[in-house]
Amino acid sequence: MTDVAITASRRSRTSDRKRKLVTLGLAVGRTLLSVAATLLGLTALTFFIGRLLPLDPVIAVLGPNTTHDAYVAMYKQLGLDQPLWKQFVAYLGHLVQLDFGSALTTGKPVASDIARVFPATLELASVAIVIGTGLGIPAGVLSAMYRGSPLDHIVRFVGLLGYSTPHFWLGLMGLALFYATLGLVGGPGRIDVMYELDLEPRTGFYLIDAALTGDGALFRDVFSHIVLPGSILGFGAITYISRMTRSFMIEQLSQEYVVTARVKGLSWARTVWVHAFRNVAVQVVTVVVLSYAFLLEGAVLTETVFAWPGFGRYLTNALLAGDMNAVVGCTILIGVIFVGLNLVCDLLYRIFDPRTR
Amino acid sequence: MSDHRPSPTARRPFARLGLACCLMLASTAIQAATPKTALVMAWNIDAISTFDPAQVGEVVTNELLQNTCDSLVDFDPADERKMIPLFAESWTVSPDRKTITFKLRSGAKFPSGNIATAQDLALSMQRVVKLGFGNATTLTEYGFAKDNVEQRIVAPDDTTLVLTFDKAYPTTLVLQAIAANRVSAIMDMKTVMANQQNGDLGNKYLATHTECIGPYRLAQWNAGESVLLQANDNYWGQKPTLKRVLIKHVSESGTQRLMVGQGDVDVARDLTPEDLKDLESSKDMSIAKVLRPQLYLWTFNLAEGGPFANEKVRLAMRYLVDYEGLGKTVMANLGVPRASFAQLGAVGALDEKQGQPFKLDLDKAKALLTEAGYPDGFTAKLIFGTLQHAAPIAQSVQQNAAKVGVNLTLERMANAQLFAKVRGREFQSAMQAWQTSVPDAHGNASRLVYNPDNRPEAKLTQIPVWRTGFQSKELNEKVDAALLEPDAAKRDALYAELQNEVMAKGPMAIMFQMYNTAAVRNDLKNWTWNGFRTYYAPAAK
Repeated sequence: MTDVAITASRRSRTSDRKRKLVTLGLAVGRTLLSVAATLLGLTALTFFIGRLLPLDPVIAVLGPNTTHDAYVAMYKQLGLDQPLWKQFVAYLGHLVQLDFGSALTTGKPVASDIARVFPATLELASVAIVIGTGLGIPAGVLSAMYRGSPLDHIVRFVGLLGYSTPHFWLGLMGLALFYATLGLVGGPGRIDVMYELDLEPRTGFYLIDAALTGDGALFRDVFSHIVLPGSILGFGAITYISRMTRSFMIEQLSQEYVVTARVKGLSWARTVWVHAFRNVAVQVVTVVVLSYAFLLEGAVLTETVFAWPGFGRYLTNALLAGDMNAVVGCTILIGVIFVGLNLVCDLLYRIFDPRTR
Repeated sequence: MSDHRPSPTARRPFARLGLACCLMLASTAIQAATPKTALVMAWNIDAISTFDPAQVGEVVTNELLQNTCDSLVDFDPADERKMIPLFAESWTVSPDRKTITFKLRSGAKFPSGNIATAQDLALSMQRVVKLGFGNATTLTEYGFAKDNVEQRIVAPDDTTLVLTFDKAYPTTLVLQAIAANRVSAIMDMKTVMANQQNGDLGNKYLATHTECIGPYRLAQWNAGESVLLQANDNYWGQKPTLKRVLIKHVSESGTQRLMVGQGDVDVARDLTPEDLKDLESSKDMSIAKVLRPQLYLWTFNLAEGGPFANEKVRLAMRYLVDYEGLGKTVMANLGVPRASFAQLGAVGALDEKQGQPFKLDLDKAKALLTEAGYPDGFTAKLIFGTLQHAAPIAQSVQQNAAKVGVNLTLERMANAQLFAKVRGREFQSAMQAWQTSVPDAHGNASRLVYNPDNRPEAKLTQIPVWRTGFQSKELNEKVDAALLEPDAAKRDALYAELQNEVMAKGPMAIMFQMYNTAAVRNDLKNWTWNGFRTYYAPAAK
């Protein structure tokens, strides 16, 4: 090869790399722009709908028996006398500085409130999704493998039960049985009163914080408190994940390559788990990630029954009090969760499906 | 053909995980108990939004402040109508009853180490008036105003505080008012003012702090989660027996019942009537019950005319309430039937029978409607909030009303929305609770009867009777006369007359007086409370 050709080849490789970098940069830019637009839209929608709700944030702050003068003063202090668009622009101005304002119902900055309540929900949702995925996927696959068998009927019946039983009721019944009658699990709340003052929240995830102390009894207490609400929420996730997995797998198991694999002497388990399941992995990932996202929004009723100081309850209380700073802050976080999990989903697609690389 | 089941190797991780979880659960199966040195309560504490004594109005925060911030005087635990010294060691009243001079305790220290002085107390009380939140009314109705408060509340020396009133009000009533509303809570004004923001007199700082002297101090508040009070080791008075008070936020009453049953909490504060009834027979706990000064009432808007502007219609509505039936079912353990504005237990209140002369009587209601010119009834709207007894009472009244031709349309809404509508006179009729802060008939006479200015532009939104658009000069005069009557017997007689008159033509059909109820486990001793105050310090184990 001549020098000219080598140089030309090098130039071509360099320009290829540049092109790839530009493409990647553009893709990242497009994603960021899309994320920003989504969050802006979400903020605007929540803000304006919140202002149209027939709830009075001033009364949430001052109570119903305040004097008119104090009411007017607080009304102005909250900026509610300004036109809506001005209020929105001012809010956006604070937002770009990552200032979500103060929650009217707690008097504390929304960001610090969220930093306090969100780990509780994140921890609960993570336990629930581990249970949901760990049991839901095998149940769905087994149900598809033994379609029409008693096992399949059991899985489908349990799934139906999970869909149709209110979590609120299930939570109370679970507490009555496992906590009040059998004494197998800890009661409502994240930790027992006896340990409440021993645990210094470092990460906000009590299982981790308890493990960091090295105190086995403390860890067992925290575990015993999360296991029941985690299982109740996980039960909901199991039903969704198992049903979806089952339907994906039934479709795959009817494909010709499955028959071919069996004819070639591959074991049934290997055919199902290694070949068929790998083909539905992308869809299952989507289902699991979506389940996780819904769990992270906070399960208000479960949190209420279990006195779990989580995100869902915080958001609901804020909404009922017309505390729009808190509501918008929470909504933005939910938006970020969904967008973030979508990106994670995209990433996982690339890992599980070579065609998307 | 090969085995269709997953191999044992594939099953093993699940089996291991399951086994580990079961072992861990089995090892946590312990008998729940609360610490011997702590009082633990389950309570819905969502309403807490600030700890500023000038601003708080909620029952929960009020109770917490009463145990963390000493007032000048206190309610006698045994008799809520009697006032006893607290931060004031004694007081003297001038012959014309317009000046009260308090002698304060000396040497008491705030958590910061600052010595508490009468100047602190004077400034604390002045800031209540200057800030003008709802609690300011407690002082403004006795003649204190923004422009005179610095002259009328003065501290001539470190242990003397002088209050000067514009009229000769009954001294006990004034003392009750300043004790109940925390307006005389002594605060560390040096610390408060050092944390002032934009001239807010420390309002924002006090949202999350208590700079007071009391048997307990606020150690931690996690909104919607818990409140922790720590015993104040430097307290001047009797030291609390239990070192800590932990209040866990539990909004679901069913959960509270399970927790108190298991011994995870000592006291459950928000149980339903059904739960209370069931727990009455429990060997592990008892039900504590005390009448509180809260009335549940049906209020009518007269401001824009309509059927409710007619006093006979309003009287007819009182006969549509099934006091007895509701009292035995929905309101069992929640409240007792009461029609008079003066709550049972208050100075000047009619007794149980005289203060509740009504019963469900459809014929009487029909006759009154006919006399009022509505023989075929009418249609009206009734709004109510989210209290657990609100919907059943509204539905019961709706059914009875339908029998006499009155078609009531019910609408349930969030409490904040209900308050906004009622405050703005944007309703036809509404059911809601109202609580007075003093054990004296004047407490409610001044809010449910006395309307100084009925004009819409007066915007006396803090006064429930203004919200109804009802004003009677004659009744206003009677309220004034009763307030200033120095002779106790004559005063009682004036209030009796006033109560009877208001029951006949007032703008509200008062239906029930509410109870404070709690399930208290037997290992907690000396649970002490009355309608106005819960005392944590005597509680012991």
